[in-house]
Amino acid sequence: MSNVIKNPRNGCALHGALQTVQEIEGAVPVVHANAGCGVINYLANKTVGNGASRYSGFATPGTAVQERHVIFGGASRLREQIKNTIKVVNGDLYVILNSCESAMVGDDVDAMTREIVEQGEPVACTLIAGFNGGSHYGYEHVIYDILKSIDGVKKNEKSTDEKLINIFGIVPEKDPYWQGNLEEIRRIFAGVGLKANLFFGVYGGVNDLVNAKNAVASVVFSRWGELPAKLLKERFDVPYISVSSLPNLASDERELIEKVSEYAKIDPEVKESFLESEGRYERNYLSRIRDDIFEYDLGKRTLIVGDEEQVIRYGKLFKEVFGARVVGAVLTDALKKDEEHETDNTEILEAVAENIYITSDEKDIEDIIKRSRAQVVIGSSLEKRIAEKNNVSLLEFSYPIYHRAILNQTTVGVRGAVEFVSDYITAVKQAEKEKSQVLHDYLKQLKNQNSWQGHTSKKGQVKQINLVSELAARESI
Amino acid sequence: MAEKIGKHIAIYGKGGIGKSTTTSNISAALAEAGYRVIQIGCDPKSDSTNTLRGNNYLPTVLDSLREGNKIHLDDISVKGFGGVLCIESGGPVPGVGCAGRGINAAVNLLQELNLFEEFKPDYVLYDVLGDVVCGGFAVPIRDGITDRAYVVSSSDFMALYAANNLFKAINKYAPTGGAKLGGVIANSMKPGYHREIVDDFVAKTGTSIAGYVNRSLDVQQSELYGKTVIEAKPNSAQADIYRNLAKYIAENENLVVPNPLGSAELRDWARSWGDRIYDIENGVVNGLAEAI
Ligand SMILES: Nc1ncnc2c1ncn2[C@@H]1O[C@H](COP(=O)(O)OP(=O)(O)OP(=O)(O)O)[C@@H](O)[C@H]1O
Ligand code: SF4
Ligand SMILES: [Mg+2]
Repeated sequence: MSNVIKNPRNGCALHGALQTVQEIEGAVPVVHANAGCGVINYLANKTVGNGASRYSGFATPGTAVQERHVIFGGASRLREQIKNTIKVVNGDLYVILNSCESAMVGDDVDAMTREIVEQGEPVACTLIAGFNGGSHYGYEHVIYDILKSIDGVKKNEKSTDEKLINIFGIVPEKDPYWQGNLEEIRRIFAGVGLKANLFFGVYGGVNDLVNAKNAVASVVFSRWGELPAKLLKERFDVPYISVSSLPNLASDERELIEKVSEYAKIDPEVKESFLESEGRYERNYLSRIRDDIFEYDLGKRTLIVGDEEQVIRYGKLFKEVFGARVVGAVLTDALKKDEEHETDNTEILEAVAENIYITSDEKDIEDIIKRSRAQVVIGSSLEKRIAEKNNVSLLEFSYPIYHRAILNQTTVGVRGAVEFVSDYITAVKQAEKEKSQVLHDYLKQLKNQNSWQGHTSKKGQVKQINLVSELAARESI
Repeated sequence: MAEKIGKHIAIYGKGGIGKSTTTSNISAALAEAGYRVIQIGCDPKSDSTNTLRGNNYLPTVLDSLREGNKIHLDDISVKGFGGVLCIESGGPVPGVGCAGRGINAAVNLLQELNLFEEFKPDYVLYDVLGDVVCGGFAVPIRDGITDRAYVVSSSDFMALYAANNLFKAINKYAPTGGAKLGGVIANSMKPGYHREIVDDFVAKTGTSIAGYVNRSLDVQQSELYGKTVIEAKPNSAQADIYRNLAKYIAENENLVVPNPLGSAELRDWARSWGDRIYDIENGVVNGLAEAI
């Protein structure tokens, strides 16, 4: 009955909410849980290359609930913690995050929040507990819950800004390139004279939450942004546009901007000149790799492991730029709560990949990779072992990525496309170089020794012979 | 767990059915017979041992846990009638926190305090509140704390329904070392068909009756004096009923895993009794009504 899930790459809803809140400048999370809930999120994320977030790990304010708070209720402990946090941590908004524990015990977190708000403090809460879903669910719901209550906390008359666009669906820390990607989206919108309301990262902050209702439209870049966008539509009549993935090529950028221009005022001349320059940028760089495409046979059998948005984006790019065959796509964002979303990307996914799998179980993923006979895997560091074992090139682009610092790099827009493409070509060239190194070493060995049988294992011989014949065939030796 | 000291017995039953009254009288009767007895009230109301200790104040185990001070056995126990050691687990105020976890924590704490090694009881009775609503309340029959449970029930359908739920819990946990059932204590028996209903229920579920306890004014009167019947009315017939029940429970080794009825089965069974009672009340003669 019970299955073992190997290396599930997503945390719980609390973790998603915590990651989200701690990436909003000016927002302070207050975790109402036993100490481990917050710490485990920190430990899981600290190995990935995004660097420390604002409240990294042990410094996260929390109630560190103990058994007596479970038995007698933890509400008064929470009250104490909020008050102390407000005293010692400066913030524009304090966000109380619920956990399995407080939800099961039934602590009235809502009432506690209202009590503190009535005292004039800027506090919001989310009642979702860890067990309600995965990290993506946590992102979506905490943003939704904050937007729902922020009006009562930060007074602000609605006045629509014709240039302001809300950006939803880029999950902080879950998209390894979330910071650079947000910045690239900002650049694209700025290019046509619009302002992106990013919420997170360098240009985001609590003010974006307050201003969200003043946006002229919201753009939802993955299904996980649907709920907050819908809320703004219902409450403040802010329309929203859903797209299946972030833009990559100049044509994607054009499509996006055209859609947005139905709601936002964009000067047609500015738009044309910007999109034209984006096209030029893309053409310039992509034309530089046309020789490589043929020389290294870059249209390989490819398998993509990642969140739905990334799978669609990377898949399209690989097909369009290299003419690759995407033999499989593994969606790792916990899609269980799917019923909540209107977004249905089945058709798009089917157009991108030949087979679609939904799992975040490493064992399943390893089996899928083995069966797929893919030559290239776009995935996370968790796929490294199986890729090496099967002699497959691995491009690490989805969560988690270890042993690499990812600060402001992007995989989005024409710049992201170029970055991605160069990484891929580098990986292929590196693999080729390693292969020819083996060949050269072997030939050298042959020259120096009369009898090599004594020095190499049988398996090693077979491997070398295979390599030699492969290289010989390709390099016509 | 180390070798158990004394027989550990859990008493369950629907709210207000007479668990505390019956348990206290059993404790009193066992003490009177010369045994060393501990009664632990596993109920946030902390009124289980009232009649054993004349309604005197007794801090609960969880009160002391809440304070966070070092806890001593003396602070949370008091000797009542016949030397019965009275302990109340206590719990949160209604509507807050998790009482199930509270009972769990209290029982663990008592073990940490070496209660049983120190007191060396012959019998330990756990008076557990209400229906087995969640895992927390099943702890006394689950984790090897007790090896036998009794359920107090009247002939009312809801009381039997609660008993049936306990049977389900026992059924679930017994295979992994949980407690088994010693029997049903039929309480508040009045003349008429009441016994027959309970008899029929135990027959259907593969269990047995540990004793019949009549509904009696002696019980209510003694309670008002803050005493058990054994103490207040030692020569009454009701006291003897409790003594016999205590003797049965002390000696009974016939422990079973009950066969609880399914919901539909239970409903049909109740309906069939509804018809029979109607017949009895209306003087329709049938074999079962002889007792009237
Ligand atoms: N056999 C009996 N005859 C008369 N009255 C009884 C009898 N048994 C119990 N009672 C009365 O019923 C009331 C409830 O009994 P008791 O407190 O023992 O029930 P309980 O099952 O422990 O309740 P709770 O679930 O609230 O703990 C008491 O007032 C008690 O005196
Ligand atoms: S799943 Fe629940 S208990 Fe586990 S870390 Fe998340 S909130 Fe904490
Ligand atoms: Mg009671």
